Parts: sequence; structure tokens; C-alpha cells
Amino acid sequence: MKNKRGSALVVGAGISGMRSALDLAEEGYRVTLIDKAPGLGGTLRQLDYQFPTDHCGMCKMLPVVERDSASQYCLRKGFFHENIDIMAATELVGIEGEPGKFQVTLRHQPTMVDPERCIGCAACVTVCPVEVPDEFNAGLTTRKAVYLPVPHNVPNHYVVDPAACSRCGECERVCPTGAIDLQLEARKAFKVLVVDDELVVRDSIKEWLEDAGFQVEMAESGVEALEKLSQGGCSLLLLDVKMPGMDGVEVLKNAREMHPDLDVVMMTAYATVETAVEAMKVGAMDYLMKPFDPEALVALVVNRYRKLLRMGEQQFEVGAIILAAGFANFDPASAPDTYGYHTFENVVTSIEYERLMSGTGPHGGKLLRPEDSQRIRKIAWLQCVGSRNLHLNADYCSSVCCMFSIKEALLAKEKSDGQVDAAIFYMDMRTFGKDFQRYRERAERDYGVRFIRSRVHSVEAGEAGCLQLRYSDIEGRMHAEDFDLVVLATGQRPPAGSDELAELCGVERTPSGFFKTEPFSFSRTAKQGIFVSGSFGGLRDISESVIQAGSAAFAASTLLHAGGGSLSRVTDDEPAYRDVTRDPPKVAAALCSCAGDLARAADFKAIAQKLEGMGLEVFLTERMCTREGLDEACRVLRESRANRVLLGACMPYVYQRKLKDLGKSIGLHPFLIEVADIRTPAFPGRGEDRARVTREIASVLSMAASRLQGIDPLPPRSVPLSRRALVVGGGIAGMTAALGIAEHGYEVDLIERSEKLGGNLHRLYRTLDGWSPQQLLEQTAAAVNKHPHISVHLEARVVHSEGQVGRFVTTLEHAGGAGETIEHGVAILATGGSEAKPQEYGYGQCDAIVTQHELEDQLQRGQVAPGDLTSVVMIQCVGSREEPRNYCSRVCCAAALKNALYLKEHNPHVEVYILYRDMMAYGFLESYYTQARRAGVVFIQYQVAAKPRVETANGAVTVTALDPLLQREIALSPDLLVLSSGIVPSNGNDELAGIFGVTVNRDGFYQEAEYKWRPVEFLREGVFACGIGHSPRSITESMAMAEAASQRALSILSRERTMGGSITAQVRHSLCSLCQLCIEACPYGARRYDAEDEVIVIDELACQGCGACAAVCPNSASVLRGYRDQQLFSMLDAALEELF
Amino acid sequence: MARTAAIEVTEGNPVKALQEFFRTLLERGKIEALLVARHLPVRNAVMPTLVTDPQQLAGADPLAPVFPINAAKVVSRLTRKPFEGRVAVVLRPCEIRAFIELVKLKQGRREQLIIIGMDCLGAYGNVDYLRFAAAAGDGSSATLDFIRNALEGRGTAFEDFDITTACKACEHFVAESADLSFELLGATLGEGLPLQANTPLGEALLGELGLASTREPAGRKEAVLDLLAQRTAYRDRMFAETAAATSDLDKLMSYLGHCVNCYNCRVACPVCYCRECVFTTDVFDHEPAQFLRWARKKGALKMPTDTVFYHLTRLAHMSTACVGCGQCSNACPNHVPVMELFRTIAAGTQRAFDYEAGRSVEEEPPLSTFREKEFFEVTGGKD
Repeated sequence: MKNKRGSALVVGAGISGMRSALDLAEEGYRVTLIDKAPGLGGTLRQLDYQFPTDHCGMCKMLPVVERDSASQYCLRKGFFHENIDIMAATELVGIEGEPGKFQVTLRHQPTMVDPERCIGCAACVTVCPVEVPDEFNAGLTTRKAVYLPVPHNVPNHYVVDPAACSRCGECERVCPTGAIDLQLEARKAFKVLVVDDELVVRDSIKEWLEDAGFQVEMAESGVEALEKLSQGGCSLLLLDVKMPGMDGVEVLKNAREMHPDLDVVMMTAYATVETAVEAMKVGAMDYLMKPFDPEALVALVVNRYRKLLRMGEQQFEVGAIILAAGFANFDPASAPDTYGYHTFENVVTSIEYERLMSGTGPHGGKLLRPEDSQRIRKIAWLQCVGSRNLHLNADYCSSVCCMFSIKEALLAKEKSDGQVDAAIFYMDMRTFGKDFQRYRERAERDYGVRFIRSRVHSVEAGEAGCLQLRYSDIEGRMHAEDFDLVVLATGQRPPAGSDELAELCGVERTPSGFFKTEPFSFSRTAKQGIFVSGSFGGLRDISESVIQAGSAAFAASTLLHAGGGSLSRVTDDEPAYRDVTRDPPKVAAALCSCAGDLARAADFKAIAQKLEGMGLEVFLTERMCTREGLDEACRVLRESRANRVLLGACMPYVYQRKLKDLGKSIGLHPFLIEVADIRTPAFPGRGEDRARVTREIASVLSMAASRLQGIDPLPPRSVPLSRRALVVGGGIAGMTAALGIAEHGYEVDLIERSEKLGGNLHRLYRTLDGWSPQQLLEQTAAAVNKHPHISVHLEARVVHSEGQVGRFVTTLEHAGGAGETIEHGVAILATGGSEAKPQEYGYGQCDAIVTQHELEDQLQRGQVAPGDLTSVVMIQCVGSREEPRNYCSRVCCAAALKNALYLKEHNPHVEVYILYRDMMAYGFLESYYTQARRAGVVFIQYQVAAKPRVETANGAVTVTALDPLLQREIALSPDLLVLSSGIVPSNGNDELAGIFGVTVNRDGFYQEAEYKWRPVEFLREGVFACGIGHSPRSITESMAMAEAASQRALSILSRERTMGGSITAQVRHSLCSLCQLCIEACPYGARRYDAEDEVIVIDELACQGCGACAAVCPNSASVLRGYRDQQLFSMLDAALEELF
Repeated sequence: MARTAAIEVTEGNPVKALQEFFRTLLERGKIEALLVARHLPVRNAVMPTLVTDPQQLAGADPLAPVFPINAAKVVSRLTRKPFEGRVAVVLRPCEIRAFIELVKLKQGRREQLIIIGMDCLGAYGNVDYLRFAAAAGDGSSATLDFIRNALEGRGTAFEDFDITTACKACEHFVAESADLSFELLGATLGEGLPLQANTPLGEALLGELGLASTREPAGRKEAVLDLLAQRTAYRDRMFAETAAATSDLDKLMSYLGHCVNCYNCRVACPVCYCRECVFTTDVFDHEPAQFLRWARKKGALKMPTDTVFYHLTRLAHMSTACVGCGQCSNACPNHVPVMELFRTIAAGTQRAFDYEAGRSVEEEPPLSTFREKEFFEVTGGKD
């Protein structure tokens, strides 16, 4: 892949960080992706299942086009992309410079294990004497000080937890490859001088620090300290404030005179804290409070030690910074007595429950009580723990907990064959996302999950090890019920380190600690060049995080582009490989003996003989994981002139990343190089039988050799692309997408069927947070209209489209009937939707009954004056969240709050009643719900079974509703009845979908490739969706989605030609019977029947090489490059020959 | 929808009645041509014949107890692409079912086709039929003898043979998917031969021909159930015996021991639709050295190789489409009981996918559909 000039730093390698990084990398920018944790994946590492599929599916984020540039295996195991430098255990510690030219400083935590050398054999773990709680299992299990941060990573390298490590050095000794270096010598050279008049203090500090590997000197007075300092060699001074004779501050002054760079940390009792603070003004770096916490003290010294030596620091320049630091889970232990958490072991948080339920969790996936390992029969989920709570500075809804609790409850049902009773205690069930409502109903109806609208009062000890839950229902009655397990659905918080990050970036934060962003954007901060991505911006589920990560990447890309990012290419062209297509296969094998270790475990001579018998040239190398070892291998392979190469080594995934370099060095396409894992058969603990190890290694190698001998040497072809985009729909989403692409220098055709741009924006005058949609519309439409790269086609319709990604040809029909044909590489469908016309509650019978849009319009035009009103009733979920329109429209609760607050603001005396089912005040909208209640808006909950009734007589409206608290009907006679009727997709979406070969869901919204992982893409490659044509959403949400869609489109448009994968399907036409089973079987829509030429045609870019077509084809007319039948037969023969 | 008309039968000869009916179709321009089994001038040969001239219908005899090939194959060749006008094809139920499978595999089209079926009383093996016909003197008398014996309870056995095992085990002897079908079972031929319309197309045709409706013969239901019970019982015995005879790899190798890789079975198989079988492509062009390696490994190698592999592959590919017509066994020169094996395995694979080969064009072939929740007993509901 060719690279563009320009690079970005992405901080945080969870889902959103990965998405942002991939988005930029696929577009050709260089990305550095860092994470504080020693592994990638963020929260998702710990979660096995996600709703609504109850599968994982994270791998679907990997590139589809140019997929050979990235890893193509389980993303929870690991990940690489040739344009992304991944640095785990790394923090951002400095930012200087300006947007487009930031100088950033990173600090790497030492892992003490060289990942290039660690082969994952676990010898170190067996000797490590330390046991600490394992974060991966949320502390439910233990691990050693040397451990795998994510047990399922591939390749998986051990790391040492420096805080837990006792520095016994055992692991260093047993490591077969010398990969561990505890850096004991470096610490010994670091001398700490402890100055305190009390012997016991000096002694204990000395003991702690020596245990941590440091050299310690002591002084009992200022005078002695200065004397010792004068001898030199001291790196850090720990100095007591209050000492007889010369006090600490004086010592400090003298010491600094002697050694101006000396690092000094004051030690103080509570009484003299002020002096310590003063001391920092005269040069002390920090202070420590007595009595000391040994752990904190050692950590501080380690920190100073690393800082002083500038250990692991690295500086470089990037154009943009994306912050994707994720979120922290609310810790119930941080608040006083949260539902008995930490009092009862059987009260757990959601994340603890996820681990409890996981196959890699403490009980291998069995649902057992943490306290006594008894079988769990009843589980209660308590919602809103740490969310929607003003006392905990959380005037927000965490947005994700309702859905994950339903998922957890549903999985509990599934795992137990319905035996476990699952009850969810909630205030509002916020099922506001696409298909969430149906998911909830499925849980309730098909699985019997109990949903209990209630306030939980307390959790106490119950019978037989159970917990007794006391709660009051919506009618105010108290109940008590026993459960085996109580799961606290803990909300989100800004992650640890947010304070430092905010300070570093100079970005303002909201009162609850989240980064502030600009109006109508979730990713742009006030600080140019610094963007926030994913849940770090606050309260998002995976799907929204992925969308928003795309939007952040888009913002960064726009900045990099404006800075000349795509003007020049920096990397070399595709390397020139030797043409070996006409040469008979000649395989050379380079086998790594792992510095002799492997040669002892197996008979390499016999293995070499066996391979030579198959016609291979065999070379032995010492240690291929080192630079020298690999260079040596390259040298012999170059000389051998073989045209296929087999590497026998450990950890094939590590080599996968090096194959391109290796290929370049020996002039062979990486497709013709194969890595076979010969290390695993000889892992410790697998027996010492040399003959068996030899046989297994020979089997692995001869299989790989057979595959290489049979491989088709034709390199994958590159395909030219049409670098032009078609955007259908001229609302805010379509305009945003068109502008985004045009600003990157590509031509865009924007198609709008009405006579003007703007869509729904024409009917909106205010947002809940006080911004003006009209101004947004004006600015955006003006920008679109004057943009030299955008051709706007008003009153035009798409009537036909054919072709495939990179080469679509689409026909438009203009108002007069004139046709026009456009060639384009990508298409974005942004055809939107509109407010539904209510069919119920007397709408249309009386002028006093209006929709939310109509109310807003009438208020704006002055047709309704708030001052004239005495009473207004609003009904939520009109025609929504029931079949056939069984989805939440997501914007109506916000609209109701907005209009209610507006009325109250302009006339505090007006009575406003909102009749609702669940207030969908998700995320930061919750604060407006709070505001509305404070302003006196009355909220009355109703059930679907007992909906409000509306009667009209002589232009007057009467609304009758059941008040759940009073348990009787109330009658209201409002001046206005406002119906929140929700959103329906534009008519014509389904027709347009048909034209582009994509689909709509049963509600008529676009059906994305995958709800969570590919939310803006269709299964059909090169076609994207955004805005409310995809699902109901707010203006800002629609714009974020449009940006995400443009970013995906840019990853295709940014190239003149693109490569299909090296493994793609082919058709042998002479054998093909045209049964078309392969077309049905292809999950990517990459095959079609060309009726004219009577052949099956493959779209090489869309084909992902999955092989479903080859499997379904009975006579191998459809085949997969690199996996032909003959090849597989000989591989099987080779494997079986050794083992049976 | 089902509507029944009666075709007049003269001289107690239903074959003549059929010929008359076909002649009407051709003469009244309802069809361009008719594909029907017909006695050839060659002695006792009965072959599917495409007839356009009504005069040539004299030898047409779809009731002859023989079908040397499964005619679905030729119908597929006739209908792969659109043509002028409409053609009627007269097929046995197993031929219709095979054709339905081929339509799903895009190897034929049902449009422009009128499918005429009949209750199938079974057929003799190709070689046996020659003896049967010779004994009767000529093909036409042989057919009448066969029908009378079968319908009047005298059975179908002749000398030392009977109809094929496939026919004896066949429970699909009624042509349910045909547009029109002649219902021999339970009919009193003197009162006419019932012709049933199973589809709107068939019904419309009956209307156009002005054939009067009649009621289903009183004895039909019972006759059908009787035959079904016989056939099913025979079939289940066959399944049990075959399963026992092939219960492990050694037994299977011995079961297929006489196979010589002539591939006649797959040529005869109506649903084996590949233009070229994978076993005759380069995929199985083993290197000469490979044979030696295999031989060396066990000390001896039976040649030709890949015989069991061939049958297993064909089972994997085609058992979900197998209609049990028995042409594979009919074609085998070495009397390998291929049909028995295929039907036994097919019963399992089709049950696994809740699929029945030939039942309906609407039913998608199992491997072309993806169902998220299937094989619960294997996956335990997790995937």
C-alpha cells in the first residue's frame, strides 16, 4: 500500500482507537496507536458476547479492501496493519507544537520481556512465586507477577508486572530464549539517600527500597546528608521536613546549591504539609505523607527513577492526535454502601459478571456463586448504579447498561437452558438503538426475563446464602425477594488519567469530567488538531463508538489533508518481485534451531533429510527472531534462488508481519513465503519424546512444503478505481458526507429529489443544547453550493446502477425526464426519513392536536404563544415501540423535553404533562430530563395495555390517563395535545436499496453490514449508509455518521488502484455448469452471473477468500487461489504420512 | 384446486387412450412438441422421444415398465434457455422430481413446460425388460400385461425377476408435482382414465380442452395407501440392511469392492449435473510417484484408486438431491448396489436439512441457504 505524508497518534487501543487508527491507516496515513495497558482491545478483551447478536464479531472491523495489509484473524487475539505502529504499555506524556505539527512524547512502561524473543512457553510462570489478583478476570482469579495480560492473544508474549514482581530473578534464569531482563543492575546503580532523624523511618524505607532493587544510603541529620551528598553518586534524595538542627528545607536549599539537578522528594507529617508544599517552590519535586504506605512510596521512587533516567521515552512528530482512552466503570466501592457491594461477595458488577459467565472466567463458564460456588438459580440486575445520580456527580445516563443487562440476563437464560431466573430492576428501560426494543421484547417474551420497574431499597443477607432484595414497585408498594446473585449495572466514568490528559491537551471538560466538544460535533475539541473518539467522548455503546471513531478519524484526516497530507506519497512503490510464474516450483526451507534448544528436542538431521527427499533445499539458522538471524536467513535464501520459501520458526503470526520485508529482501512475493510453527511441538510439559517431536515437526513442515509446491505463483492483480463519489440525499447527512469527501479533493455528485437541500433541518429551529439548526443549514448548504468539487443535482432521482466497488455506473433521471450517467467509485445513501403522521389519539380531528415538529414550527412562527397556554399534554411513543413500528425513534423524548423546557422558560405557569413509557433521555440528555422535572414538568408513566384516551368535542381536548402512583384515572383538559410520533424512513429507500443491490430491514431502514462493527457499510462493498435512513438519530449523531461513512469511502477513493487479496476465488469456466450455488453461498455479494457471456464473474475486491463458493461447488469449477484441491490433497498426504 | 377429468379408454387399452390425448394436444396447437417414452423400431427399445408430428405418436408408451434413462436429463437439455412455444413432457414421478432438482440448480426451466405424470407402477431393469417384452411378443402387449397384472393384484414379478429394488422401495409413485397426472391406481378403466390437474396451469388446460370434470374413483385412496405401506416397509428394510452392510469403513470398502471407476452411475444419475466430474479433471491426475508413495506406506495399493472416495464425494455432493430413481444401479456393470447406499444416506442427509429432494421448486437446496440456528444437537445452540 502506498502511504501519504502525514501521521496521527491515537491514544487508546480499544474498539474506537482501533477503528480510528484503521480508518486513517486504510486511507494511507501513518498511525501510531498506543495504549496504557500491556495489551490491545480495551474493555472488549474481557467481553465474550455482545448484543444484539450475542456473538463477538469484532474481526469484522478489519479491512475488506486491501485486506492483505492487515492481520486477518480474530481481533480479540491481536492485530496489525502495515501503516500502524502499535505500542502497548505506553502513555502520552507530552504535547508541544501546533496542529499539523505536534511534537509528542511517549513513555513506555517496561514489560521486562523482549517480545521478539518470548515464545510464550510459560516456563517463567511455573517458577514465579508471586500471586496477585488477575485484572483480566476482574480480580476473580489470580495470576503470577509474570503473566499474559490477555490470555487469548496471538502471538502472546508474557510481561512482568513491576509492581508485583519480587525481583527474585527465577524467571530470568529459566527463560529458554533469554527474553526476560528484570533490569536489576540498573536499579542497583540508582542510589537513594534517605534523610530522617528517626531510625525506624530510615530503616523501614531502606528495607522497602532495597527489596525493590535500589541502592540506599541513610543520613540521620542534615549535616550528615550534605556530607554524603558532597561525595557524589546520589540520584534521589528523600528528605524529612522536620529535623532537629538543620531542617529539611534548609538541607534542600544547600543540596540544590551543591547539585542543581538533584531530585528531591520531601517527607512530611500532616502538621508540616504546608512546609512541604513550600519546599516544592524551592526545588523539591514532590512530597510524601507520613505514615508511609510502602507501596505508594516504592511506586513514587520507581516513578522518579524512570523519569530521571528518561527511561522508555520517545519523541516524534504527528499531525493530529485522537484521544480514544475509553471509559472507566463506576466502582461501587467508591460510594458509601452501594447495595452491599464488597459486603456480600455475591454482589458483583457487570464486568465481574461477564467474567463469571465467560468460558475463560473463574468457573469455565459455569454460573456459580462467588461466595460458596453454589449453583446460581436466581439473578437480579440493578440498573443505573453510578448513573442518573446527582449525588455521584452523574447527571447522565450511561446509555449502555440497559442493553448489556438484557444481554447478560438473556445469556444466563441460554446458558442454563432457561433454568436461571433473571430479573432486571430498572427505572426506564432505555432501548433507544436500532432493534433494541425488539431485543428487549424477545428477552421478555421468548426467554422469560423479568423486567421490574422499581426503586431498589436495599440488599441484605437472605436465606441459605442468598441475598434479599427489598424494592418498591411503581405503585409504591414494598416487596422483598431472594436472589443468589445481584449484578450491579455499573455506569461509565471518564477513565483514569483523564485529568492529566485534559491538562496535557488543554481541553476543557464538562462538570462530570468528559471532554467538551464543539457544537454539532462529538469529535472536535476546542483545541484544533486534538479529537476525541468513541466512548472517551462519553457514554456510547460499540456501534456508536465505532461510528464516532470514524468521525474522529475523518476530522483528523481533514486536518492532515489540509496540511498537504495527500499531496505527496512517501513510501516506495510496490517492491519489484521476481517473475517466477514460469519457473518450476523450487522450495527452500530455513529452519530455526532456537539457538540449539530446538535442535536438542528434535532430530533436525532427519527432518532436513525428509524435506530434501521432497526436493527442498534446507538451511539451518540459529535464531531467526533476531535481526542478525533473519538477515542470515535472507542471505542464504537470496543465494539459493529458490522461488518459494518455507520458514520453520515459532509464532507464525509474528513473522506474518515481517513477510513483506523479507519478500522485498529476497525479491519474492510474500504470497510465496510460508511460516510453519515448529516450536510448539517442543514446548515444555509436552513430554520429552524426541521421536514424537521430530515426527510432529516433520509433519508440520512437509504439509507447508506441499502447499508451497502446489501454489499458483501469479501475484494478485490490482484494479483501477474511479475516484469519484455519489451521495444520494441532500439532508444534513448527505451534505456532510459530500463536503467531507470533496474537501479531500475528490469529485462528488450530490443527488436530492426535492427542489432544495436541507431535508428535516428546514423544520428544526433549536436543539436541546441551545444551538441553531437553521444556522447550521445555512452554512452547510452554502459550503456545498460553492464547493468546486461538488455537483448538486436537485429534483433528480437515481433510476439505475450497475458495476462494483471502484467502478459503479449510475443513471439519474432529472425532473424533466432527462437522463444522466455518472461513473463513480463509491456511493453513500443518505436518504433520510421524516416525522411519522400519527394515526391515533384524534390527530387531524382538532387543531389543538399537533406533532412535536408542528408545535416547534407554530412556536417559531408565533402561531402559538407560550403565554397564552395554561396546560399542555404530550404523549410519547405514538405509533412507536409496538408492532408494526416496533422501534424507538430516539429523538422524540429529546424533542418533548426541548419543547416542554421552552414552554416552561417562556411561561413558568404553564402546566406541562408528559405521558411516557420509558423516558429515553440517554447519555447527556438525562440532565435535561432532570432540568424538566425541576422546572415542574409532570411525567406520568403509562403502560401499552392502558394507553391514554383522547376525546375531542367542539375543538376541546380531554386526555384521560391512569396515574400509576395514585392508581386511578386522571383527566386533563389541555390547550394543546402534542404527539411524539417518531420517525419513519423516506419512502423510496427500499427501491433505492434495490438499485444499489443492498437491503432495508423490516422497518424500511437501511440494513448495514453489521450493526456493531460495520455500522455505516453495507455488505455490498463500496456502498455506505448514514443518517436517519439508517436509523433514527439526532442532527449531531447523523453528522457523525455521515463523517464516518465518508471516511470509509475515502479509504477506497484514496487510491488510484487497489489490490484484491492474495487469496481470492476464481472460476474455471470450462468446468462450470452455471448452477449459481456459489452466488447464493457468497456472503459478500462478490459473485454474479453474467447472462450475456454466460459466465460467473467475481468482484475481486469484494471477495474475501472465505472459500464458501469453493465448498459449495461440486466439481471445483470454483476454486480458491492458494487452496487448490491438489495442494490440499498433498498437504493431507504429507501430514498423514508422518503421523499414521 | 385439484380437478379431475376422465379420458375415454377403448378396448381396455389405456396406452391408446394416452396416445389419443397427446394427439389432441398436438393437433389443437396446445403444445409445439411432446417428449414421451416411445417404442423405437429397434426391437423392444423404449426411449424418450421428442414428437412434433401427431402421426408419430403411434409407438408412444409412457406406461411401458422400463426407463432406460432418467428423462429429467433430456428435459434439462431441452429447457435450459427460452425457446418458442410450449412443450409437454411425459415423465415418471422420479423423473419429475429429478427435474425439479435440476431447475433449482439452474440446469432447466419449468416455464414453457407442461409436465404430465402418471401413477408409477414400477419398472424393470433395462436387461430384465428385454426378456419381459420378448416373452410378451412385442412391447405394446408387454405394457398391457404389466398394467393389468399390477392393477389387478397379480403383482409385477416375472419369472425370476421383479421391478427394480429402487421401484420397490419407492414411496413417491404419485406424480404430485406434475401439472397433469394420470391416475391409474384405483381406477376402473372401463369408466375412463382419471386425469388430475395439480396446478393452475394443468387446470386451465383441462378447461381449454373442454374435458368434463369427474370425481376421484372411490377405490383410489385405499389403493394408494396400500401401495405406500408396501413400499415403505420394503424401503425401511432396505435402509436397515444397507446401514448394517456399510457401518464402518472396512464394510463400506467391501460393499463398493467391485467398483471399477467406470463412472456409469454418475452418467446415469439425473441430478449429477456437473459439466465435467471432478474425478475426471486434473484434480485426480495424481503424480505417478504418488501412487508409489501410497503403495509403499501400506505395502499394497488397490488400483484403480479413489473408488470409495468417489462414491463418498458423490454422496456428499448429491445425496441431498437424490430422488431414488435407481438409474445408478441400473447402469452398474458389476451390480454394485449403488442405489441402496445412496437412498440410505440421502434419507439421513435430507432429514438433517428438513429437505426432500424433488418436493418443490420453492424449497432451496440445503447448501445454498444459511440458517443460523441448525444442528442444535451438534452445536448445543452455540455457534
